[in-house]
Order: sequence, then structure tokens, then C-alpha cells
Amino acid sequence: MPPLAEITQLIVFGVLALAVVVGALGVVMLPNIVYAAFLLGGVFLSVAGLYLMLNASFIAAAQILIYVGAVNVLILFAIMLVNKKEAMGASPGVGLRRVLSTGVCIGLFALLLRVAFSTPWATPGPAAIGEDAVIRLGEHFFSDYLLPFELASVLLLMAMIGAIVLARRDVLATDIGTGESVDQGLIEKARTPLLMEKP
Amino acid sequence: MESLAQSLNAGAIAPEAAILIALLACLLADLAGERTAARLVPPFCYVGLGTSLVLLALQWSEPTADAFFSSFITDNLGVAFRAVVATSTLLSLLISWRYVERAGTPVGEYAAILMAATVGAMLLCGATDLVSIFVALETLSVSSYLLSGYMKRDARSSEAALKYLLVGSAAAAVFLYGTSLLYGVSGGSTNLDAITISLQGAGVTPLSALALVFVLATVAFKISAVPFHQWTPDVYEGSPTPVVAFLSVGSKAAGFALALRLLVGCFESFQTQWQLLFTVLAVLSMTLGNVVALAQTSMKRMLAYSSIGQAGFVMIGLVCGTEEGFAAMVLYMAAYLFMNLGAFACVILFSLRTGSDRISDYAGLYQKDPLITLGLSLCLLSLGGIPPMLGFFSKIYLFFAGWADGQYLLVVVGLVTSVVSIYYYISVIKMMVVKEPQEASDVIKDYPAPTWNLPGLQPLRAALVFCVAVTAIGGVLSNPLFTWANAAVEGTPLLQQVISNGGHLPTG
Repeated sequence: MPPLAEITQLIVFGVLALAVVVGALGVVMLPNIVYAAFLLGGVFLSVAGLYLMLNASFIAAAQILIYVGAVNVLILFAIMLVNKKEAMGASPGVGLRRVLSTGVCIGLFALLLRVAFSTPWATPGPAAIGEDAVIRLGEHFFSDYLLPFELASVLLLMAMIGAIVLARRDVLATDIGTGESVDQGLIEKARTPLLMEKP
Repeated sequence: MESLAQSLNAGAIAPEAAILIALLACLLADLAGERTAARLVPPFCYVGLGTSLVLLALQWSEPTADAFFSSFITDNLGVAFRAVVATSTLLSLLISWRYVERAGTPVGEYAAILMAATVGAMLLCGATDLVSIFVALETLSVSSYLLSGYMKRDARSSEAALKYLLVGSAAAAVFLYGTSLLYGVSGGSTNLDAITISLQGAGVTPLSALALVFVLATVAFKISAVPFHQWTPDVYEGSPTPVVAFLSVGSKAAGFALALRLLVGCFESFQTQWQLLFTVLAVLSMTLGNVVALAQTSMKRMLAYSSIGQAGFVMIGLVCGTEEGFAAMVLYMAAYLFMNLGAFACVILFSLRTGSDRISDYAGLYQKDPLITLGLSLCLLSLGGIPPMLGFFSKIYLFFAGWADGQYLLVVVGLVTSVVSIYYYISVIKMMVVKEPQEASDVIKDYPAPTWNLPGLQPLRAALVFCVAVTAIGGVLSNPLFTWANAAVEGTPLLQQVISNGGHLPTG
């Protein structure tokens, strides 16, 4: 009879894993996008639970803050703002495509399973350091991972500026060189058909 | 603290820092209003990129050094590819000002985003740590998505950005999966050296083979090798043309540098496998890129398919794994930089004057605009590999390296597809030159008299003339470039080690 703590861990792991798998399948398969978005939030929360079980409380908190708090809420906002009632028309050959993509996914899954089970993993890994993880992370950020840490700030700055540029309503739509008003489109205009040119 | 600063060796990324400072200066100048920005931003960019190139030239003679606790390395290969990226940005910016102003989009943010892409691409060329590689790759990719959607009122541009974003994110996810496997293989290290050692120790296992496939797929996506190329034609057609110029040279150069670091360096014990995979990719890219380009009616689309074919040629050098192969690869990237950007400068100038990029609209151009006709003809001839252009010598060097290594299949496919490519390049030239005045297209009949007085046109002309001159004269005087490419390979311990192992097997 294994000790109680191990049984509890096993049960919690089983519940969380089931929640992740069922939730992820629901995200992909449910036709209603709102259900899919809420299920995605559930998947993120369950993954955070898995991190907690691995004694990585900081990662779990970050997962909840970023994925549930920011990403998922953003997705829900986007759905709310679009709020389209009509369903998308069935595209031709959708059945065949579903069969094909299911086949590809099952094949990939089988391959990953085979690799996962045929590899002699170095288990158990290094001992979990629990609450000290934050200190260790900070040390890494300012020593051997300094370059990616600083570069990430450039990445975030650029993503922010780019998002603003793409989303803002421009007051300026004139050619600075000539003062003509322009349309912020590609210079290469799509060619209008000949029949449209001369009425 | 002194010891920490010394062990960081932060001077290694001084060229990137120069560009970053110019980027911030552009953003600040943009606060002063659109007119001030249009006046101030170009000189800031020139100073930043020029300083960066000078600093790179200074790093060239220095011995190879690790920086940021072996997250970054300054070997000659990295410096060479970073110089190619920085030069491609400088030339792309020179040809963009008029295009961006004419479209009525903000100039300061455009330059800032393009320079952020450059910083990402340059760091990618020298990064030796999986986390650094990923963050640099994302910096390059996110900036590229933003740039392709920059003409936001145009549905084609938005479509290009969305397609690029979706496909690129999928590729990034695959790359992350591959790197997580590598992290597991090495027992918890993200450093490429440590991963190389553990991959050599473990031999060929299913796990490392899977990691190889995932990493290779991402590299192939970045250099748009067939069959990972589907995004390329649509993105190139919908993106602003100067952005396409950067994507086709700068982004691709970074992709090849990544391929050299990861495949040649890290997966050295898998040389037979990845060479075989890359042989297949190269044959498919050369064939499909050059054959489909025949059927294109849009100039940008044709150049997109031709860039897929050109990437196939460069892959010959990668597959060889010999000193000549690597040197030919570096040389071809440098030559491709000038000839492709020269061609894009001509295409941009033509579309600025006519608003068209259809090949049939070029009919009879030589009577109205001899400069574009001459420049585009020389660059396209060079891309096709006609002597005595720069492209001919670099391509012949590439084929020579392939033949010497016994890659007969690749060289024969390369030769045949080169002939095919000459056909579609020449047909553009024929369209411009041979047509009689009465056969000229409507666009040419209304062609405006060439003027250069608008702001932004002078830099375009300078870049055009410079690229065309290098393409035309560089072929005859290509000795410095040869020496440079050879020195890039000789000054790179990573490549020297692979060459001296010499464990390559002909796979073609």
C-alpha cells in the first residue's frame, strides 16, 4: 500500500491531465467559439495545476497571470467585440480535410508517443527547489541569460509599437513630399478590369 | 563588479547596440511630428547602420570571443552574416523612404520596426544559446509580420501579415518543441556546445532524430525552402516592396546563419541525415521555384519564386560541408544581396512612377527610362548567372564546390534550373528592350518624365546605382569578395572543426 501522499498526487494528476485533454479537445471541436474560449481558460488553469504539482509555484502563478489573466481575457474581448451571429458557410471538401487532418494528427501523436516511450529519460531530474526558484530565476536573468532577457525588452517594445501603428486611426494620410492625399495602401494598385475603366 | 563586466564581454554586441540607439532616436524623432520625423529619421538610420558596419569591420580582425556567458559568439562567420544583414537593411531603407511617404504611412515607426528586425536577425547570426536563438528569431519574425501588414488600408497587405503570422507562429511552436527535446537530450542545458557533446555521445536515437526534424523544419521555413515555402509568394505579393527586399535578403541570411549554427555545428553527428534532407529540399526548391516563376505575371511574385530558387542554390554549399562549400555560400549570399536589392530598387522606382508591378507593363520601357531598364537588366542577368556579372562568378563557385564534393545530382539540377531561370529573367529584359514604341504598354505610353526632386528619390537613386555598379563591376573585380568569403570560413572555429573532421559522405 503506497503512502497516502502518493495516492493523492496520482489522483490529482489524473484529474488535471483529464481536464487538460478533454478541455483541449473541446477547444478544437466545439463549434461555439465562446465555449471554446472558456474551455481554453480551463486548459490553462489545469496546466498551471500541473506546474504546481512539479513544485514550480512561480511558473504556475505566471501561467495564471499571463495565460488566464491576459491572453484568455483578450480572446474573450475579441469575441465580444466581433459578436458575429451567422455561422461560417461550409467550405467545399471540408469532410475530406477533416479526415486528412485527423489522420495527420493521429500519426504525429503516435510518433511522439513512440519517441517518448523509447527514450531513456534521465528521471528523476534535478531536485525541485520550490520557493527558491524565483531567486534562481533572477540570478539567471542577470548572468547567463542576460542577452535574451534584454532582447525580450526590444521584442516587447516593438510588438507594442507595431500594435499601436496597426490599430490606430491615422490623422495623417497625406504624402509628405507632395502634399497629396493618399490611401495608405500598396503603391502597386490592383489592376481594374478593362470593362470597368470606360463606362 | 569588474570581473562580471569583463566576463560579459558586452562589446561583442556593440554593432547591434548602435542600431538599437538609432532605433530609439527614430522613435523620439517621431514624437516631434511627421514632417520632422521624415527629415530626421533617415540620417539617424544612416548613422546607426553605418556605425554598426564600422564596428563589425573592427570585429572582423579580432579573435573569436564568447560573450554573455557563451550566449553569443563573434566568429568571422557571424560577423560576415551580420554585415550582410546590416547592409541589406541599409539598402532597403534607402529604397523605402519615397515608397513609405507616398503611401502616407508613418516613417519613424517604419524605420524603427525594420531596425528591430535587423537587431533580431543580427543577434540570430551569432547566438549560441537556444533561448537567445529563440528570442532573436521571434524579434525578427514579429517585426517582419508587422512590416508586411504596414500598408494597413490595403487588404492584400493585411492578408499577407495574417498569413505570415499564422504560418510563422506555427513554425515557432515547432521550433520550441524541437528545442525542448534538445534541452532534454542535453540533460538541462540550452548551450549549443553542451548539446553538441550530448548529441555526439547519445548517437542516433529517435528522440534526437525528431528534434532534428523539428529544428530543420523551422530553418527551412525561414529560408522558404520547398515544401515550407507556401507563405512566400502571398507574403511577398502583399507586403510593401522595400519590406520584401529586406525579407528576401536579410531574413534569409539570418536563416542560413541559423542553419549553419544548428545543423552544421549542433547536429554534426547527424551529418548524413540532414545532408540528405537538405539535398531533397534543395532539389525541390531549385526546381519548383524556377519552374513556377516562369508562369508569373506580377514582378513581385516572380521575384518571390526566384528567391525560392536562389535559396536552393545556396543550399548546395550547405550540403557540401567543405571549406569551398561554406565559402561559396557566404559569397553567394553577399552577391545575392547586391543583385536582388538592385532589382528591387528598380522595381520600386518603376511602381512609384507607374503604380504597377505587372511584367507586361514593362513593355517598351527603354525609351522612357533607360536607367531602370539598364539597372534591372544587369541585376536580372546577374541573378540568372550570365557572365561577366557578379552572380555568374558566385554561382560557378557554388557549382564548383558542389562538384568537387561529389554532389552531382545537386549540381546538375542547379545547372538545368539556372537555364530555366535565365529564360524568365531574359523575357523581362526582352519585354523592356525589344518592344517597338507602338507596342509599348498603356502605362509606358503615359510614363512621366523622370524627375528626382521629391524627397527620398535621391537615396533611392544612390542605392540603385550602387547595387547595379557592384553587380556589374563586382564580377570582374570579385577577388576581394572571394578573399572575404574564404576568410569568413577560415576565421570560424566551428566550421574549421567540421571541415577537419571531414566525415562528409556524398549523398547526391
